[in-house]
Amino acid sequence: MSLLELHQISKSYGEGPTAVRALAEIDLSVDEGHLVAIMGPSGSGKSTLLTIAGSLEEPTSGEVAIDGASLRAMSRNDKARLRRRTIGYVFQDFNLLPGLTAAENVALPLELDGVSARKAHQAGLAALEQLGLADRAGRYPDQLSGGERQRVAIARSVVGERKVLLADEPSGALDSTNGEAVMRMILDACKRGVAAVVVTHDAHLASWADRVIFLRDGRAVDHVAPDLSDSSLATPRA
Amino acid sequence: MTTAVLAPLADARPADGGAPARRAVVRWAWRLFRREWRQQFLILALIAVAVAATIVGSAVATNDPQPANFGFGTARDAVSFTTHDAHTASVIASLEHRFGRVELIEYETQSIPGSINTYQLRSQDPHGPFGGPMLSLVSGHFPSGADQVAVTSGVASAFHLRVGATWRVGGVERQVAGIVENPQSLLDEFALVTPGQVKNPTGVTALFDAPRVALSSIGNHAQTPASVAQSNPFNPETISLAALVLGMLLIALVSVGGFTVLAQRRLRSIGMLESTGATDRHVRLVISANGTVVGVVGAILGFVLGLVVWLAYRPSLEQSSHHVIGVLSLSWAVVVAAMVLAVVAAFIAASRPARAITKVPIVQALSGRPAAPRQIHRSALPGIVLLVLAFLLLGVSGGTNHGNGSGGAPELLFGLVLLVPGLILLAPFFLSLTARLGRGAPIATRLALRDLARYRARSGSALAAISVGVLVAVIVMLAAASRYGNVLDYAGPNLSSNQLAVHANTPPPAGTIERGPNGNQVVQQSTTTPETPTELATNAASIARALGAQLIALETPNAGLTGTHLGRQWNGAIYVATPQLLRAFGIKPSEIDPNADILSSRPGLSGVSGLGFDYASGGKYGPPQSNQSNQRCTAAAGCLAHPVIQEVGALPLGTSAPNTVITEHAMREFHITASTTNWLVQGSQPFTAAQISGAELAASTSQLSVEAKNDAPSSTAVTTWATIFGIVIALGVLGMSVGLVRSETASDLRTLAATGASSNTRRTLTAVTAGALGFLGALLGVVGGYIAMIGWLRSNSLNGGIAALGNIPIADLLLILIGMPAFAAVVGWLFAGREPAAMAHQAIE
Repeated sequence: MSLLELHQISKSYGEGPTAVRALAEIDLSVDEGHLVAIMGPSGSGKSTLLTIAGSLEEPTSGEVAIDGASLRAMSRNDKARLRRRTIGYVFQDFNLLPGLTAAENVALPLELDGVSARKAHQAGLAALEQLGLADRAGRYPDQLSGGERQRVAIARSVVGERKVLLADEPSGALDSTNGEAVMRMILDACKRGVAAVVVTHDAHLASWADRVIFLRDGRAVDHVAPDLSDSSLATPRA
Repeated sequence: MTTAVLAPLADARPADGGAPARRAVVRWAWRLFRREWRQQFLILALIAVAVAATIVGSAVATNDPQPANFGFGTARDAVSFTTHDAHTASVIASLEHRFGRVELIEYETQSIPGSINTYQLRSQDPHGPFGGPMLSLVSGHFPSGADQVAVTSGVASAFHLRVGATWRVGGVERQVAGIVENPQSLLDEFALVTPGQVKNPTGVTALFDAPRVALSSIGNHAQTPASVAQSNPFNPETISLAALVLGMLLIALVSVGGFTVLAQRRLRSIGMLESTGATDRHVRLVISANGTVVGVVGAILGFVLGLVVWLAYRPSLEQSSHHVIGVLSLSWAVVVAAMVLAVVAAFIAASRPARAITKVPIVQALSGRPAAPRQIHRSALPGIVLLVLAFLLLGVSGGTNHGNGSGGAPELLFGLVLLVPGLILLAPFFLSLTARLGRGAPIATRLALRDLARYRARSGSALAAISVGVLVAVIVMLAAASRYGNVLDYAGPNLSSNQLAVHANTPPPAGTIERGPNGNQVVQQSTTTPETPTELATNAASIARALGAQLIALETPNAGLTGTHLGRQWNGAIYVATPQLLRAFGIKPSEIDPNADILSSRPGLSGVSGLGFDYASGGKYGPPQSNQSNQRCTAAAGCLAHPVIQEVGALPLGTSAPNTVITEHAMREFHITASTTNWLVQGSQPFTAAQISGAELAASTSQLSVEAKNDAPSSTAVTTWATIFGIVIALGVLGMSVGLVRSETASDLRTLAATGASSNTRRTLTAVTAGALGFLGALLGVVGGYIAMIGWLRSNSLNGGIAALGNIPIADLLLILIGMPAFAAVVGWLFAGREPAAMAHQAIE
């Protein structure tokens, strides 16, 4: 079943002669439990595609459907609810809220969704524990290392009933060890049925995906299914 | 490492997250406030100071006058009598019959040997039903028998008494049992004895409760605290609240800019919150909650600050107001209103940026880039329309009741209220206009002026706040100038602090109600034998002697001035320029024009046309009409149409002082006679409250009354304070907003620095920003003030119409228009030399 579907998505910035076309007629479908990697040079439209898929931005044309529901007809509040309940978003620079502890950051989508503070906190702690960060639950973002911050961000993106996980260069600010660890977590989420899209520059990490899409100048120029028989890729998919 | 899908959560949740979501957002706002309170320090300080000032100001205003129950204790009604005869006894018996309990306080005025001061031998039950608040024990105990007495500290000092001493008073040898005081009047000096021990009372006060009984049905002489208080037209609490509302409006205007910059600083965090699933309502709540927190913290800090200042100042106020003031004797209604208004003002100020930030796209918010300023071509028309409406309304107000303006309060209020939004709406237009005018200026100046116009969300509100502050100051200045500038109806302080006026009283007819020594209404039951002029002069001289001051006899002629100028008639006493009077003020006979009829210290009096010297009817001739002045003021009618007036600056300026005198030349020429019923007591030093009280007590034993310097401000004092108010408001707003405006363009500053701009460029940017904002605000405020005053005066004949504005406070206006912006620019220049900390990159959270 396709949890994320993008149909003929185009996006332009500006108007008239200064208009810039960031995306042109992109089609993408991600099924339950699948991981799709998006690669491409800077300015190719990778992040724009992800923000449109994550309802953070409106496409100029085309249609986005999440779990069968079209975003076109949704109000701003409906989209916000979708981001709280269905979509998990992981940013390259973590985007953890200053002033909230790691546990509170993880619990935030639940609390925003009306879950009591106590239950949300318990859920946040459980998510952190599963990512090996239980002892960091009370720390503020500026008291965590880069790898820890990204793990907290991933915990936040999977807590609750998320079905779609969107990650924009989640390992971009991390060293290779932490980068691989992050990718493993995303794969774990996929194993639980989450549909995930990862934007990355790293071909090695992209090779862990079920499918890799190459973007250039806003167009999808290639679709690749990595050869899982390759020994270097066998371990992560195991 | 493995992760697992967490257990599904129940779906019976509100669409917007309900209370848990709001709690989470408010918690985050509170955490951010705790982390970033320094950035909000100025707003916090403004709110705290405003609340504290209101608390202290209202407490002083309400506690400085005598207490509302002064002379009544806890009683609701009181009647006083000057004798205790059979008639008095029958009235008191009647009161007891009608209303039950009646507490009697009898007193007999006694002289202190060798002094003009007096005290009362007073009989009062310390545990009486009503008189408790009028009596308190300082030390020892209250007298419990006929052989005991308690005295006030003043009496103890005058008679060298202490607790345990023996003192013969009222014809009886008594032991001093204690030291007492009247908490409602610390100047009240008395010796307290048990009821019935005053053998020859000179007065009796009956305190009683007559609830729901009309005063008229009790008798003509009955009083209640409310009936006494009604004579006070000004309610200090109302004035405090009005000032508070205006202050909070200014703070709200300034805070809008502060919260806007704060919201912008948090833009990226807001983007993160939205990407996590926060709705617009949640985002608005973050900023609004922050505003509310700032308001609450500011209000609490202000309350604490106000309380501390009040506790520190209360003893001084007790001394100056001569009565005991409770530790927590605050205007609690004003305190609560101030704190609530502080929170409301901060909330409202935060609401606008809260709405604006939800319009920033999430992706842009995540990037931390503020939205590009929208190109709004805001028309000046709405502002102009409001100013015209205000002008017309003020004109209608000024013209009511045949041009005396006394019936146009609603129009006056609405007119003044419309001025404020008018100025607020005009502010952005003036910023754009200034930017256009600055096109040809050097780069730093051009950039500063353009930034002011581009970032109008900050600079517009700051400009409006400065304008409103200056507007208030200018209206006060112009109103004072027009009122004080009227040389005929002279206004200002009555005397200097080293002067007392002593007036001979006309003996009151029987039954006249006067205020007695206790402050109660005293019924004059019998006629009094008038004192002779010699006796009066002797008593006045003894008052001056006791004060160690000079006594100047003021001869009142049976002549006076008459006339109308700028809608007002001549007002004030005229005395004779006797050699003694001239000598007292250092005026040599040679300095006087031999042809002068009148000498005056009133500035500009000699230039007033249409003034008549009425030498035949004692100045009661009536004012000549402006178009027929010479028809009525003729020699045949005993009136000199154009008296020769010489302005003499050495004469005193007070309204009750001899500021205008008739020369002996005029006295002789017009055969004017004079009598002495007033004296001026002039010392070398300001008189103390105790000296004034002593003089008043001494006068009360004779048929004299003493007039001391009142609280009426001088023209200079009003104008100076208004100018200071306007400048302080403007500089305060500039201090807050210039930094905010420049912080918004911090990236430009980095670019400028990276391209080689020197510290001079940075200094110029800040100096021009501060100077231009200050000047524009001052200009708008002054223009608004003149629009208001011209609108009101153009149809107001009582205040002389627009001509009354001829007395322009040039120095004060220049100080506001030029001095304040220049000062702001210089300070901005001095503080802006530092290189931006993060020149190479923008700080990441």
